[in-house]
Amino acid sequence: MKNKSILKPYIIKHKWKYIFGVITLFVVDFANLYVPEFTGKITDGLDSGAMTMDNIRLLIIQILILGTIIAIGRFLWRYFIFGGSRLIEYELRNDLFNHLEGLSANFFNKNKTGDLMAHFTNDFNAIRMAIGPAVVTTFDATILTTMVIIKMISHVNLQLTIVAVIPMLLILIGGIFFGKEIEKRFKEKQEAFSNLTDEVQESISGIRVIKGFVQESKDVEKFSKSNLRNKEKNIRVVRLTALVLPLIDVIIGVSIVVTILYGGRLALSNQITIGEFVAFTQYIFMLVWPMIAVGESINLFSQGIASLKRIEKILDVQAEVYDDENVDTTVERLEGDIEFRNLTFKYNENLPNSLTDISFKVKRGQTLAIVGPTGSGKSTIASLLVRLYNTEPGTIFLDNRDIREIPLKVLRENIAFVPQESFMFSDTIANNIAFGSDNNDIEKIKKAAKDASVHNNIMDFPLGYETIVGERGVTLSGGQKQRCSIARALMKDAPILILDDSLSAVDTDTEEIILSNLKKNRQGKTTIIIAHRISTIQNSDLIIVMEEGKIKESGSHDELLEQRGIYWKIYNRQQLEKQIGAS
Amino acid sequence: MAKREESYYGRQLNTNVFRRLMTYARPYWLWILAAILLVLFLTTLELYKPVLEGYVIDEIVTNRSFSKIKGIALRYIFVLTGFYLSNILQTMILQYMGQNIIYNIRQELYQHVHSLSLRFFDITPVGKLVTRITNDVEALNEMYSTIIIKLFRNLVKIIGLVIVMFYHNVRLAVYSITLLPLIIVLTIIFRKISRATYRIARTKLTTVNTFLSEHISGMKFIQIFAKEKEKYQEFETKSKDLYKANFREIMVFAIFRPIIYFLSVVALAIVLDLGSYLVIEGGITIGILYIFVNYVNSFFQPIQEMAEQLGVLQSAMASAEKIFSIMDEEPLITNKPNPVRRTKFEGKIEFENVWFAYEDDNWILKDVSFTIEPGMSAAFVGATGAGKSSILNLIGRYYDIQKGSIKIDDIDIRDLHTDDLRRAIGQVQQDVFIFTGDIKTNIRLFNKSITDKEIEEAASYVNANSFIDKLPGKYDEPVMERGATLSSGERQLLSFARTLAYNPSILVLDEATANIDTETEKLIQDALGKLMQGRTTIMVAHRLSTIQHADKIFVMHKGKIIESGTHQDLLKLDGMYKKLYDLQVQ
Repeated sequence: MKNKSILKPYIIKHKWKYIFGVITLFVVDFANLYVPEFTGKITDGLDSGAMTMDNIRLLIIQILILGTIIAIGRFLWRYFIFGGSRLIEYELRNDLFNHLEGLSANFFNKNKTGDLMAHFTNDFNAIRMAIGPAVVTTFDATILTTMVIIKMISHVNLQLTIVAVIPMLLILIGGIFFGKEIEKRFKEKQEAFSNLTDEVQESISGIRVIKGFVQESKDVEKFSKSNLRNKEKNIRVVRLTALVLPLIDVIIGVSIVVTILYGGRLALSNQITIGEFVAFTQYIFMLVWPMIAVGESINLFSQGIASLKRIEKILDVQAEVYDDENVDTTVERLEGDIEFRNLTFKYNENLPNSLTDISFKVKRGQTLAIVGPTGSGKSTIASLLVRLYNTEPGTIFLDNRDIREIPLKVLRENIAFVPQESFMFSDTIANNIAFGSDNNDIEKIKKAAKDASVHNNIMDFPLGYETIVGERGVTLSGGQKQRCSIARALMKDAPILILDDSLSAVDTDTEEIILSNLKKNRQGKTTIIIAHRISTIQNSDLIIVMEEGKIKESGSHDELLEQRGIYWKIYNRQQLEKQIGAS
Repeated sequence: MAKREESYYGRQLNTNVFRRLMTYARPYWLWILAAILLVLFLTTLELYKPVLEGYVIDEIVTNRSFSKIKGIALRYIFVLTGFYLSNILQTMILQYMGQNIIYNIRQELYQHVHSLSLRFFDITPVGKLVTRITNDVEALNEMYSTIIIKLFRNLVKIIGLVIVMFYHNVRLAVYSITLLPLIIVLTIIFRKISRATYRIARTKLTTVNTFLSEHISGMKFIQIFAKEKEKYQEFETKSKDLYKANFREIMVFAIFRPIIYFLSVVALAIVLDLGSYLVIEGGITIGILYIFVNYVNSFFQPIQEMAEQLGVLQSAMASAEKIFSIMDEEPLITNKPNPVRRTKFEGKIEFENVWFAYEDDNWILKDVSFTIEPGMSAAFVGATGAGKSSILNLIGRYYDIQKGSIKIDDIDIRDLHTDDLRRAIGQVQQDVFIFTGDIKTNIRLFNKSITDKEIEEAASYVNANSFIDKLPGKYDEPVMERGATLSSGERQLLSFARTLAYNPSILVLDEATANIDTETEKLIQDALGKLMQGRTTIMVAHRLSTIQHADKIFVMHKGKIIESGTHQDLLKLDGMYKKLYDLQVQ
C-alpha cells in the first residue's frame, strides 16, 4: 500500500467521483438482485393460479422500473469511475511531463527516449486500469458475491445455496491458479514474438551482408526455427485456454445440475416454491462474473502497482541544474562578458576529464572562435555556458558574476545557442524560427531568415513560412535545417550568440553571406563560433585551438599563423582542399 | 515506383483479398468441415440447456416425479460433457489450422522479401517490412482461428434461437423478436459512432505520443531556449484533447451499454406479459415460458459480438492487403532461364561502356570502361558521389546497368547465376554489420560447414585474433549490432575474417580503412595485404596510403574515369590525383 503514495493526492482530489461511483455500483447490484425475485413471483403466481393479469402487470412494471434504475446506474458508475480514472491519468501525464522538463541533460543521456515513452504509454495504461476497471471488478468480486449469496440464502434456501455455490468456487480457485499459468505461457508467447521481431529487424537491416555472402536460403531456414517457436508458444497458450475457458461453462452446468436435483427435490417437497427455484437458477448465473472478477482484480492491481513503481522512480529523480539559494534574483539581463577560470570538467565520475584547466576571457562585443578536432571539448564549452551541466563554483563568470548566481531562465534567455545537431519541431517554419523569442512577428521572422540566408529556400515551398516540417511535413536538407536554426538564434537577438559548428552543411558562398550579416547584427554583442573551417573564423578577435580537452594555442588569426603550430597546419590543409574543389 | 504500385493494390476489392486469404486455408478444408460440424453440434447443445431447465420446471409444476427430474439431470450432464469436449476439439482444430497458416504465410513472406533486390530495400524503410512480417501477419491469426468461425457460430445461434422459439409457440416467438430490428439498428449505429470516437482517440493518442517522443528527444532545446512553460502549455492542450476523446469514448459505451440492457429488460417484460397471459389461458406451460425468458436474453450477445467480429475482420483485411502488396513485388534482379553455373573464377573483371542510373536519367556512371586482370588490384578514387561505390555494387549485380556490359572471366554477369557470382565476391564494407550472436557466428554467418578451426585460422590470418584473444569469452564472446562493444577497427578485422572464411576469388573493399585508430590501422594494413594475395581486388578509399600500391588506380569525376595508371604514372601526370596526394601528405 506504500506504493500508492504518489496516487494518493490524485485520488483524494477526486474522492467524490469514486464515492458516488461506488454508491451507484451498489445501487445497481442491489436492484439487480430483485429482477429474478420478481420473475420468480410471477412464476409462483402462474403456478398457483392466484394471480390475475393485473397482478402480473404490476410486477412487470416493477421489473421495468428496476431496469430503468439499473440502466441509469450503469451509466453513472461508468461516468464516475471510468471518467475519474481518465482524469487522474490526464493529470498524472501532465505532471510527469512537467517533471521531465525540469530534469537535466544527464538524465536524458542516461534514459532513452523509447524507454521514457513506454512510461507514458504502457505504464499509464496499467495504472488507469487499476484505478478504473479494477475498482469495478473488485467491487463485483467482493460485494456483489456477498449480496447474491445473502439473497440466495434469505430468499431461497441455505442448504441449496451451500451445495450449489461450492462448485462455483472452482471458478475462483481456477481463475487464480490457471490465471498465473496462462499469464506465464502468454509471456513466453510474447517473448517468442519479440524474438521473431528482433530477428526480422536484424535480417532486413543486414540484408546487404546476407546477399553479399549468398546466405538468403540459410537465413530463411534459420528464420523458420523462430517462426516455428512462435507457433509452438502460441499453441501452448491455446492448448491451455481451450481446456480451461470452457470449464467455466461446465462448472456453471454442475451448479445447475445440483440445483435441478436438490432444488427439484426441495420444490417437490414444497420447501421452496417453483418461483424461488426459477430465481435461484438466475442467481447462479449472476455469480459467474464475480468469480472470474477475483482473478482479474488481482491481475490488474499487481500490474498497476508495478507500473506505479516505475513512474515513481522517475518522479523521484531530482533535477541537477536548478536555481539554488545562491541565485541573485535581481539579475535580469546579461551584457556579454565571459570568463572561464581554470575550469576542469568531466561528464561523469567514472569518465576522464572532458576539459582540463580551461581559462579565457571574452569582452562584450567580441567574437571568440574555437577550433579543434572532433572530441576535443569544443561543444562541451558551449553546453557549459548555457549550464546544461553544472560546473564547480568559481569557474565560469558572466559579467563578472558566477554562472551559478544567475537565474537559469535569465541565463538561457540571454544566450542564443545553435547546437551542432539542428533540431526542428514538427511545426511551421515560422514557429520554429520564432521558437526562442517572445514575439512571432512575421516581419522579424523573415528578417532573421534573410540574415540566415534561408528566406529564399523557405519561399520555394508552396506554403512558405507556414510549411510544416518534420515527419508529416516537408523534409528539410541538413543545410536548410542549420540555417533555420541560425535564424532561430538570430531572431532571439541575445547578448551572447553561440554557433556550435552550425555552418558545416552550408556552402562557402552562403557562409560568407551569413557571416557578414552576423557582423552587422552582432555589433556590440558577444559571439562564439565553433567551427572546422578556418575561413569561417579567421576574423575573430580571439581564436582558441583545442585538443584533447585542453587549450593548445590561442590568439588572433595572424598570431596563430606565425606560431606555425596546429592552427597553421589546419589552415594550409584547407587551402589545398579549396584548390582541388575548384578544379 | 513501389509507392504507386501499393496504392494500386490498395484499390483492389476486398473480395479479392478474401479469396486470396482463403487459398491458404484450402489445404485444411477437412479441418474446416469438422469445425463447422462441431459448431452446429455445439450450438444445438447450447440451445438445449435452457430447454432442459424448462422441462424440470414443468416436471415440478405438473407431474411432480423426482425420477423424471433425475433423468433430465442426467441428460443435462451428457449435454455438458458433449458441449465441453466438442468445444475443446473445435477450438484446437481451428487454432492448429490458424497457427499453421500463419506460419506458412510468414515463412513465404520472409522468403519472398529475401529474394527482392537491393533497390527494393533502398526505398522501403526497414520498420515497414518488419511490421508486415510480424504484426500484420499476426493480425491474420485471429481471423483464421476465431473470427470467421465465431461469426458463423453466432449466426447459427441466432437462427437456432428463432427456430426453437417458433417451434414452441409462434405467437410468443413473434413478440419475442419484435425488438430484434431495433437492436440490430442500434448496434450498427453504435459501431459507427464507437469506431469514429475510437479513431479520434487513436489520432489524439498518436498526437500526444509524437509530441512526447519529439520533445523528450529535443528536451535539450526546450531548456536551452528556456521554453519549458510554453511547451508545457502546448502539451497540456494536446493532453486535454486526448482526455476529452477518451472521455467521449467512455460516454459512448456508458450510454449504449445501458440502453441495450434496458432493451433486454423491455424484451423480458414483453415475453413475461404475453407469456403469462398464455400460461393463464393454458396455451403454454410455465416451463416453456422459462425457455422464452432465457432465450430472449441470449439474443443480445451474439448480435453485439458479430458487430465486433466484423470490425476485426475488416482490420485483418487491411493487414492482408499490405502483406499481399509486398508479395506481389517482383525481384528486379533474376537469373536467366538457364544461367551459367560456376564455382571457380579466375577473377578477371571487365566493364564495357557501362551506363548506370538508380533512377531514370540521373546517370551515376557514364560510359565507364576498364579491365582488371586476374590477381591484380585496382583502386578507385574521387570525390563523394563520383560513382565509385556504384561500381562496387554493380560487380555483384545488386543493380542492373542500363547500357553496356560487365563481364567476369569474359562472361556477362547477367548470364551467370547470381548465387555463384556473389559467392565469388568478398565484400568488405565501411560500416561492418554485426549480427547478434557471438564472434564465431559473425565469422561463419549461417554456414554451418565452416568449422571452428577454420574460423580461428581465418581470424588469426587477418590479425583479428589480436583482439578476440583478449575478449573474456574469446570466440564465444557475445556481440550485438548496436551494442558498441567492438571498435570500428575491430569490426573491420572481424569482417576480414568473415570474408576470408568464405574464400572469394574477387575482393571488393569499400572505404574499408576509414575511421580507424593508428594502432589498429597497422594491423589492418597488414591483414589487407594478406587478404589481397592471389585475389583480384577492387577498392574504393579516401586514404591514398591504402591504395598507392594498387596495380592500377582510376580517378573518377562525375561518373567518368578521368585519369588512370599506377601511383607513379598519376603523380607524373600532375592532375587531380597529384592534388589529392599532396593534400594527404600534408
